Order: sequence, then C-alpha cells, then structure tokens
Amino acid sequence: MGALFEVLTENFDQLARGFWVTLRLVGASFAIALVVGTVVAALRIAPSAWLRRLGGVYVETFRNIPLLVLLFISFAGLRRAGVPISNWTAGIGSLGLYTAAYVAEVLRSGVFAVSKGQVEAALSLGFSHNETLRRIVLPQAFRTVIAPLGSITIAMIKNSAIVGVSLLALPDLLKEARIVQSRTFETDETFFWAAVGYLLITAAATIAFRALERRFAIRR
Amino acid sequence: MTYLFDPDNWEWLITANNARFILEGFLVNLQIAVIAMVFSLAVGLALALARVSRMPWLRVAGGAWVDLWRNLPLIFIILYLALALPERWRDAYEDAAPEFLPDVLQTGRVFAALLALVLYNSAVIAEIMRAGILSLDRGQGEAAAALGFTPWQRMRLVILPQGLRRMVPATVSQLITLNKDTTLVSIIAIQEVMRHGRIVTGFNFFGGVQAPVLQVFVFIGLLFVATNLALSRLSRRLEIREQRRTGTTLKPVSGLEDQVTTAQAR
Repeated sequence: MGALFEVLTENFDQLARGFWVTLRLVGASFAIALVVGTVVAALRIAPSAWLRRLGGVYVETFRNIPLLVLLFISFAGLRRAGVPISNWTAGIGSLGLYTAAYVAEVLRSGVFAVSKGQVEAALSLGFSHNETLRRIVLPQAFRTVIAPLGSITIAMIKNSAIVGVSLLALPDLLKEARIVQSRTFETDETFFWAAVGYLLITAAATIAFRALERRFAIRR
Repeated sequence: MTYLFDPDNWEWLITANNARFILEGFLVNLQIAVIAMVFSLAVGLALALARVSRMPWLRVAGGAWVDLWRNLPLIFIILYLALALPERWRDAYEDAAPEFLPDVLQTGRVFAALLALVLYNSAVIAEIMRAGILSLDRGQGEAAAALGFTPWQRMRLVILPQGLRRMVPATVSQLITLNKDTTLVSIIAIQEVMRHGRIVTGFNFFGGVQAPVLQVFVFIGLLFVATNLALSRLSRRLEIREQRRTGTTLKPVSGLEDQVTTAQAR
C-alpha cells in the first residue's frame, strides 16, 4: 500500500496537469459536439431533401469511422497537406465532430417524440420552419434526450483518452500516466490513479446529467 | 479539396503493392474484431445472466465487474494490460494460439489486445443483454413458472429468445464500435491497418512513391465506413426478417420529417 500513495504524492503535479488537460479537452469537445450535433439534427429534419441527405452522410461517416483514423486525418494528414493545424485544434475538432454524429442521432429521436399537434399549432400560428424548430421542437427534444446525451458524454470522456496517446501527444491524463509509468516502472500504481481520475470525471458527468434529468426531463 | 481529389495524390493507390498492403492490414483488424466479438458475446451473456441471477452475491459481483470495465477508457485497458500482463500469460497464449491464425495474431502482444477488447465489450454487451431480459413483461416468466418450467428452462426457452431479439440493434451498434476500436491496438505496436498506413506514408516505400498521409487515412476511413454500413444494413435486414417470422412489429415512429415537408408544400 505504501507504494500506491507514494506514486501519487511524488507525481501529483504531473498527474494533476494531465487531469486538467483531459478536463479542458472534454469540455471543449463537448461544446463542439452539442453545437454541431444540433445543426446536423436540424439538417436531418430539414424540408429540403438535399439538406436531409447531407445530414445523413455526416452522421453515417462520422459514426462509422474510427476516432483514431479521424485524428490521423486531421493532424498528420492536414499538416502534410500544408494546413498548419495545432494538436489541440485537431484533438478537440476530431473528438467534437465524432461525438456530434451521435448527438445528432439522439436529438433526432427526441424530435420525433415531440407531438405532431405542437408542430401543427406552431405552423398555423404563423411560425416559420426555423422558428418552430428553434422555439418549439428543439427545446423539448433536448429535454427528452437528457439521459442518452449523458451516456454519449461519458463515452466521449472515455474516448478523450485516445487523443492523448495517439500521434497528437496532447499531455492528457493517460499520456502523463504513461510518462510517469515509464519513469518509475510502477505500472499498477500509476494506472490505478489514472483510473481514479477517469472515474472521477465520468462520475461527475453522471451526477450532473442525473441532476439535469430531475430538473428538466420530460417523461414520455 | 482540390488537393484531396488531385489524381496525382491518389497515384500511390495503384503503385506497387500499396493498396494490397493496406488491405492486408485491414484484414488483421477484421480478424481481431471477429475473435473479440465471439468472445465478448459469450462472456457478455454469462455476465448478464449473473446480473439477473437469484443468488445475491453473484448479482453483486457481476455488477461490480461490469461497472468497473465498462467505465474505464478502452485504450486505458489496452495499455495497462500490454504493460502489466505477466510474461507467462503471453507465452501461454503463444503456445495455445491455433496454427491457422495468421502470424500477426500469434504474438503475445495480441493476447493483451484481445483480452482488453473482450473485457471492455463483454461488460457493455452484458448491460445491453440485461436490459433486454428485464424489458420483458414479468408475466412471461411467471407463466413459464406456472407451467412447471425449471428456472433454467424458463431462461433458455422463454425469456432469452424474446429478450435477445430486442437487443439486436443495440448489440450491433456495439459491434460496430468494437470494429472501430480495433484500430486502437496499433498503439501497442500490433501490425494492423493503422501501422500499415504509417509505413506506406513513410519515405521510400514500395515503388518510391511516397503516399500522402491525408489520402491514405481517408482511404482507411472509407474501408471502415463501408464495412460498418454493411454490418448495420445486415442487422436491419435480420430485424425485418425476424419480425416477419415471429409476426411481431415494432411500433413505427411518428416522424416530424414528413409533417414539416407537407406543411411546407401546402
């Protein structure tokens, strides 16, 4: 047991730095995923068949491509092509756009749960398609899909670990743990603390989403 | 965009053995995925049964096990096992690996990768299966019990056939995730498609043509998109066939899609 706490106290600064990087990575990607996901969900229910198809292609592409491939394309690929993209932009962008496909799918199912009468009422009151979507449909859709959004967020937190150990070399929690491990050779102890770090973040997300659900969820 | 589609930048695909080399790597991913899928489904079912068992200690132990592996990042598990698995286990795997497997899959490192994939995915699949089993009406189990079925018969003949059918879509999407996650084993230096992609984009490879990184990985991405789309298409067809065979239909979703379009047309 002695070694367990020694590893933490001796490398606390480094592991804490990694924890903080993971938090920022997750926060920024979540923001991108929400915004892009909402736009894509709106595309998928747009009146124009072309826009709907565009949304569909987005979802099918980003949902079926491995995140690691996305990271290679957005970092090494774009750099070799002459686009000076930073590892942060590539990491946040890839994780955000990847998660956005899942957010869009979930939101779309939430949109279907909004009753037809509400849409008809809004349209007959003279709301435009966009207004109906923005003020009537999407707010309710969000409130019906809080629980699945929570599980997407937790999956995203776990996926964030891929960003650090891939070629991007973002110094996130897993990356820092890996560095500590290769210096101290205390594999079990180091990975134990990294696991605690990840479980702390996922637990916090679970609690936050449960609170949101209690406060806002519409049960159907 | 012009850079992406410039034919010069796709020349590598038809030069020397580049395309074949990438596809060989992709085949390794598919093989890893299939092996991991089979074991994950079997272990997942066992875990799900443990979680709905009538023995409290088994339920609690199963729950703790599932929650542990399900909540850790998969890449974390892969890295940890690659570093921490005892040498003896890896040697044992190398001895036990069947001859018909390709050489890449007979190395000890692959054992860490497969174990990690199975630990993680079986935990996720167990949760899906448990949900499928619990989603059944209580009356099903009670009726079977009243007819004199033993608990095991009840599970095997009444509950599982119905419960498992309900979880097909969720399981398939997890299998798609698993298929994508096979790329993560490149982190522990297993020679699969990501590694092959990096080799092809290195200098002085086959035919002296250096393949552009962007195009190579777009190509690899498309390979995954194609297989995964085929997988989900297959599951949808299976679902429809099962519905026809059993005469049950899912409640159709009332869509906003058509409503809004008709409203606009008016």
